Amino acid sequence: MASSCSQALRHHVCKSSRLLRVHLQKSWTNRSFEGAVCVSSSFALNSAADQQPAVSSPEEIVIPKKKTWSKEAVLQALASTVKRDPTASDYRFQDDPYLTPKTSSEFKLFSLSQESGRNAAKYFINTYPKYFQKDYAQPHIPCLMPDTLEAQIEEVSEAALIERIGMRKVKAAVDLYDQLLQAGTSVSLDVTNQLLDLICFYGDHDPAQENVPEQRNEETEDVQDEPQAKKGRAAKASDLLKATWKEKNNAERIFALLSEPNTHSYSALIRGMVKYGAYSKAFSTYTDLLNSRLKADVHTFNALITAAPEVKEKYNEKWELIVDLLKQMAEQKVKPNLLTLNAVLKALRRCGTVGKSQAFPVISEMKALSIDLSLASYSHLLAIFYKPGAPIQGQTDILQEVMNEVSGKSFTPQDPDDAQFFITAMRICLDTKDMEQAYRVHELLGVGENWRLLGNDFQQNIYYARFFSLLCMMENIDVMLKWYRDLVPSVYYPSSNVMRDLLQALDTDNRLDLIPQIWKDIKQLGHANRQNLVEELLTLMAREKHNQEVQESFAECALDIKKIYDTGDRGKVLLNWTAGSLSDLISVLLAAHRRQDAWDMLKLFKTHNRVPSEELLNKFLMCVKEDGDVNQAVELVQISAGFCLPGTPKLIQRVQQEFELTEQQRKMLSDLEIQSFNSE
Amino acid sequence: MYRRLLINIYQVRNGLIHTQNTRLPSTKCKERESFAPVIWAPCTARPLGTSSISFSENKESSTSLSEDKEKRPEENEAKEEVNADGQKSTEISNATLTSQLETEPVDKPEDSKQVEKTKSGKESLLELLGAMKVEVTTVRKIRPSKTPRMSERPDQEPMESTHSMFQHATAEGSQQQGTLNPALVAAVSAAASTLPNRHQAESELLKQLRKHEAVPDTQRRADGQNIGHIIADMKVGGRKTNGRSSARPTSQIRFDDDGKGYTQDRGITGELDAVRRRKSPFTSKRLNIFTAGMEQDTLSVLGPTLWDIDLANQIVQATNQAPRNGFEEMIQWTKEGKLWQYPINNEAGLEEEASVPFHEHVFLEKHLDESFPRQGPVRHFMELVITGLAKNHHLTVQQKKEHIDWFRDYFRQKDDVLKEAEA
Repeated sequence: MASSCSQALRHHVCKSSRLLRVHLQKSWTNRSFEGAVCVSSSFALNSAADQQPAVSSPEEIVIPKKKTWSKEAVLQALASTVKRDPTASDYRFQDDPYLTPKTSSEFKLFSLSQESGRNAAKYFINTYPKYFQKDYAQPHIPCLMPDTLEAQIEEVSEAALIERIGMRKVKAAVDLYDQLLQAGTSVSLDVTNQLLDLICFYGDHDPAQENVPEQRNEETEDVQDEPQAKKGRAAKASDLLKATWKEKNNAERIFALLSEPNTHSYSALIRGMVKYGAYSKAFSTYTDLLNSRLKADVHTFNALITAAPEVKEKYNEKWELIVDLLKQMAEQKVKPNLLTLNAVLKALRRCGTVGKSQAFPVISEMKALSIDLSLASYSHLLAIFYKPGAPIQGQTDILQEVMNEVSGKSFTPQDPDDAQFFITAMRICLDTKDMEQAYRVHELLGVGENWRLLGNDFQQNIYYARFFSLLCMMENIDVMLKWYRDLVPSVYYPSSNVMRDLLQALDTDNRLDLIPQIWKDIKQLGHANRQNLVEELLTLMAREKHNQEVQESFAECALDIKKIYDTGDRGKVLLNWTAGSLSDLISVLLAAHRRQDAWDMLKLFKTHNRVPSEELLNKFLMCVKEDGDVNQAVELVQISAGFCLPGTPKLIQRVQQEFELTEQQRKMLSDLEIQSFNSE
Repeated sequence: MYRRLLINIYQVRNGLIHTQNTRLPSTKCKERESFAPVIWAPCTARPLGTSSISFSENKESSTSLSEDKEKRPEENEAKEEVNADGQKSTEISNATLTSQLETEPVDKPEDSKQVEKTKSGKESLLELLGAMKVEVTTVRKIRPSKTPRMSERPDQEPMESTHSMFQHATAEGSQQQGTLNPALVAAVSAAASTLPNRHQAESELLKQLRKHEAVPDTQRRADGQNIGHIIADMKVGGRKTNGRSSARPTSQIRFDDDGKGYTQDRGITGELDAVRRRKSPFTSKRLNIFTAGMEQDTLSVLGPTLWDIDLANQIVQATNQAPRNGFEEMIQWTKEGKLWQYPINNEAGLEEEASVPFHEHVFLEKHLDESFPRQGPVRHFMELVITGLAKNHHLTVQQKKEHIDWFRDYFRQKDDVLKEAEA
């Protein structure tokens, strides 16, 4: 380490002293070692050492190139000084403290309403552009002005066609094209290709909404973000299923009309076919392309590689097809790009064992072509080696290798799948229980702009849930709580299951005294109505004896929980008392010597038709005995008898022996004894 | 860190010793004494060593006087500094070296102090220092006749012998006087004359020099065999310690109290093993379908297609674009064109004039040629006008032209008046 660091230092010194040296050599030779020269001449010293031969020849002054800054440079520098504040909520919500989300549902609601507010405004501006013509901004700001959504050129001309293509009006563009052909006007190949692009891209359907596709995508994403994310996904999938490639659609028709289709035309058609699931058709189109002695472009190959696993059955055949395609790329002198690599890796995910053996050669091949891997490549690689749900044997080192490759690097988004990496990596960490790698993954997230690649809120939540579950499982309680304070609730709103994990972690590390604090968080996170969670909390509190202070805080917490049971939400009963939860609560109160509260609780058994356990009543009796309250002891026996508990006679016996009873009480007890005896 | 530093120093030192002993002369030798042709390998890998060499070298080139006595404190200093502050070892040591140079005479007492220290038990430390000094002195005095001996005594423990040689040298001081370079002696006496206790200082310095003279011979012999270790060392850098303890190089000295002050040297085979073991799958063999330098057939590129736009869009959708703080939001606004741009140079707001070169602003004579008289008061007046315009940075070139045009029109209108006046 030391040597490497000094090496780096040397580099630095060498660089910075290059200019200094020329100036300093004079002072060297004159032996004028004044104090002022002292520090700087040390530079000269070092560089002279590094570049011994260079010193003898007259040094050339290298004038550094002019640095061009982007227009955001100042802001970027400023932004880099701001660190995340673990006590603050997301920046989006900082405008209004009232709208600081406390639960995950609030988070979704608020962020979506912000988005949808924007969309609504945009919608109105675009729908009624005539009301939004006044341009206040000086200089003019184009993005604040309404978009033109209506075609401006009415006549039948190529310009009108281009305009409609630009506005992505599929039907209108196709109609216009037909009109143009009927009128005998020829349309240039470029424009026709653009039209083909448009038709193929949208699968011969108009885009779902009149708005520009960005907004459309946002809205589908919104659907996805809703609590039932799976439902949203299913809706999206069905959309895709609905839009399939139809036989003899406009794209094919227009393509057939072309006298000399070029590479671009074929490319558009093949990509459209692959996008809309006509895989074998795409391959036959590719054969046509070869027959007409044309070369395919890289996008065509990428699309075909994506389609390759769909047209073959066996793993080997799939792989052979991919290799064949790659070979044809090389033959046609098409340089693969990053998306080619990612397409191959993605296809290999569906090639089983072949994928495992071929993934690394593929990567080496692409590296040899100086293609830098993006996070999507690594994500696919991980997915090849770690199938979800499959047993993990000896593959842990792949994740380690991947982390060795990526750690410390800052990635730029280059592939839509890039956003899958962190989730996948963290899933594997969770599956393999590999805390060390998890930390490395999380560290990578903090490098440069990598945080952007974590994806949308939904994915962030998954990522943090996995990370936090792993922490709960593997880390000791102090470290875990440190992370808990850091992540919750500023970036992560744990689900009730994760909170249960947290409770279990508290249990294993014997830090149950923290439960009242956690309960506060649970309440704030909106999980106080989760029956399982609350009951688990009560069980943990009731299970063991703690010191007085802790018991006292437990009792407070228990009464707080009782309030949740009592009040419910807007008249609705959220939680139902069970025998277990009641008795746990009572034992907590008893342990804190809150006999009166406990006594009130005991009455709830009756009102909610639950039956207390003998053990609880015995415990209660012990407590009553400590205080020597005879009346309550008798009442306890009465309650026990009321529930016809089998242990009642024993209880009566204990009361008779251990308490000083009045005559009346004795009589009552013996009556009860006879009663219970009879009932048996 | 401290330990690693020491290790580093060790390696450096070893490297240097080896360099000389195996007669792979450094650049220094090349420049100064034009030794036999060379492979200057080990030293380049060692920043510390290099710097110390070059230091002496520079000094050499500037003054050939009083070299060796300076060298000592310098190196002591350098080493101490290095120990104290690891990260900046090279820089700092160099800095101190220079400061040493400036104050060389003052350091002499410290010199003798060091000698005392040696005797007071910190032997190992001085051994280290001595070893470092060794190369400095020997390099310039290395004699070709000694080289064949380098492989003669393979099993010697160099540091041990070094130490014994120290005593030896002290005992036989006068006897060895003759071996010292007369120039060196002269330099020593010159330097010593600057000290209060002249004679003592001189003799001590000379004694020290002779020691250094004596040490390298044995070291040279012993260390010649260890070149393999050096190579292993160089490759290894600061990796983990899984070497063969049995094969520890003899040049290593145990100087830490607990004896764990350095990583053990690995043999070259052990190193290869390690490499093989952690061979990354990312470096596995490739498919060999494509050729690396392949030229792509350039297709007609028509700018971004719908697909490209969609890809960009998908990427944006997939990633998190929400700003994390106010500045990032401002960046977003800047990109959208909603926000005034922060100036990043002194040409902010130059949009319309950005493409206009400066001479268009300054040399306006060309606009005068067509319709103004070639001489006379009007011409004179107009020359003043363009001089004024040339200095005006508030107007665009277009506005300047308009200004001139206005005068052109004006004088055209007043043509008859002018003619009358002139006539």
